[in-house]
Amino acid sequence: MSGLGDNLSAFFAVVRRDFHIFLSYRTRLVSQILTSVFSLTLFYYVSRLVHVDGFTTPDRYFGFVVVGIALVGVLYSCFAVSETIRQELVAGTFERLLLSPFGGVRGAVATAIFPLLYSFVLSTITLGLGAIIFGLQLHWSTVPLALPALILALLAFLPFGLFFSALTIATKQANVGATWVIALLSIVGGLYFPVALLPGWAQLAAEVQPFTPATELLRHLLVDAPMETSVGLALAKIVGFAEILVPLSLFALYRAIRLGQHRGTIIEY
Amino acid sequence: MSGVLTREDLAIEAPAPREDLPLPLSLRGVSKAWDKGRVPVLSRVDLDLDIGDRVRIAGRNGVGKTTLMRIAAGLIDPDQGRATVWGASAAERPERYQRLVSFLPAGDRGLYARLSVRRQLDFWARIAMVPRRQVAARVEEAIETFDLRELADRRVDRMSMGQRQRLRIAMTFLPRPDVVLLDEPLTSLDGEGAAILYAAIERLLDAGGALLWCSPAGEHMDYEFDRTYMLDEGRLVPA
Repeated sequence: MSGLGDNLSAFFAVVRRDFHIFLSYRTRLVSQILTSVFSLTLFYYVSRLVHVDGFTTPDRYFGFVVVGIALVGVLYSCFAVSETIRQELVAGTFERLLLSPFGGVRGAVATAIFPLLYSFVLSTITLGLGAIIFGLQLHWSTVPLALPALILALLAFLPFGLFFSALTIATKQANVGATWVIALLSIVGGLYFPVALLPGWAQLAAEVQPFTPATELLRHLLVDAPMETSVGLALAKIVGFAEILVPLSLFALYRAIRLGQHRGTIIEY
Repeated sequence: MSGVLTREDLAIEAPAPREDLPLPLSLRGVSKAWDKGRVPVLSRVDLDLDIGDRVRIAGRNGVGKTTLMRIAAGLIDPDQGRATVWGASAAERPERYQRLVSFLPAGDRGLYARLSVRRQLDFWARIAMVPRRQVAARVEEAIETFDLRELADRRVDRMSMGQRQRLRIAMTFLPRPDVVLLDEPLTSLDGEGAAILYAAIERLLDAGGALLWCSPAGEHMDYEFDRTYMLDEGRLVPA
C-alpha cells in the first residue's frame, strides 16, 4: 500500500490537472463572472419591485437571494464531476485512472474537488460583487465562520456528484436526470425564496436533503438572516447527511466500476 | 562412486516445480464472451511470462487480442480463469497489481488534450504512485529517454499522432513496472520512435521485467521475440 504522502500527491495531481485544463480556456472565468453580474442585477431590481412577506426591506430579500445565487453555483459544481467522468470515459483518460494504483474511486473523488473549489471562488466573487456594486450588507463578524460551515456542507453535497458519477459509469450518459434534481433541490433547498412559501409536501422534501440546512446556516452567517431552527440543529443535520451519504456514494461508485469491469463495459463510452 | 556429489548425496531438497512459483504474469484458463455470453472471444487461454520474456500475440483484427491485453492489465475481469502478477490478481490486490503492470492501450486515447507533455507525465507519475521525491527526476528522465525535450511544453492537441504515441509509450515505461503490455505500439511511430521503443524494452528486460506485445498478424517489425503466438478462435497457438 502507498503512504499518505503519495496518496495526497496523487490526489492533488488530479486537482492540479483540472486547474491547468481550466486555465487553458482563458475566457471561462470572465464569462462566468459576467453571468453572476447579470443575475445580481436581475435580482437587485426584482427585490426593488416585489415586497415579500417576511422581509422587512428590499435589501433583506436581496441579501437572501444573493446567498442563494452563490450556492446555486456550488450546487451545480457538485454535479459537474459526473460530466467530467463522462468526458474522461470518451477520451480514454478514465481508463488511465483505472490502470493506475490510485484507481477509479479515488480518482473520481479527486476529480470532484476542483469544481467545488472553483465554485467556492465564484461564490466569493458573487458575494463580493453584490457588496461592492449593489451594497449587499454582509455580516462581517460571522462571515469567517461561513468557511468551515461551507466545507462541512460540501462534504454533504459531494455524494450527490458521486452518485451521479456512478450512474454515468453504469449508463455512459452524463447527468441522467441531474438537471431535474438540481432544479428540485434549488426549489426545496430555498435558494431563491423561503421554504415556508412552499406547500406542505414540498416542505417535507426540504427536510430530507442537506441543501436546506446548509443554505439556511450560510445565510445566517453571511447576511444575518434569521433561522427557522438553531445553528446546532442545522450543523447536526449537515453532519448527519454527510455521515450517511459519503460512504453510500463511495460504495455506489466502487460497485459501478467493479460491475463495469466484470461485464467489460467499463471500456465503453 | 564417481566422486561427483548429487542432490541425493547431500540430501538437498529439490526446488519446487516451476509451475508452483509465481511468475511476473500468468493467465490461467482465461475465458471471455461478449454480449451476455453470446459472442465467445477467449476460451481457456493459458499464458505465462517469466522474467526477461518477450512474447508476442498476433492475430486477425477482432480476434480478441485487445480483450486479452485488457484482462492481463486488470482493466476488465475474465468470465472464467485468472490473470495474476506475481501470484495475485487485480481483483485481490488492485493497487499492487497496477504498480507492477503497465499497459499501453491501442489507439491514441488516454491523453489530456490541453495539458503539456511535461504536465501529462507529472500527472501520470503521481497517480502511478511514483514516490513523490522521485517524480521530477523520473519525468525529466522520460522526456530525455523518449526524445520529448522539444515537445516538453507543448500541448498534446498540438502534437502529431506519432509524437502522441511516443508520449503514451513514455507514460507506460515511466513507473518502471515489472510487466509491460503493449497493444499495437508501433501505430503512427516512425523508425526513430520504434528504435526508442525497442531500447526501452531492452532496458525493461535487463532490469528483470517481462513484455507482452500484441499486434495484427502480418505486421512488419524489426524486433525479435522469444515466443510468438497466434490467437485464433479464442485460443493461443504457437506461431
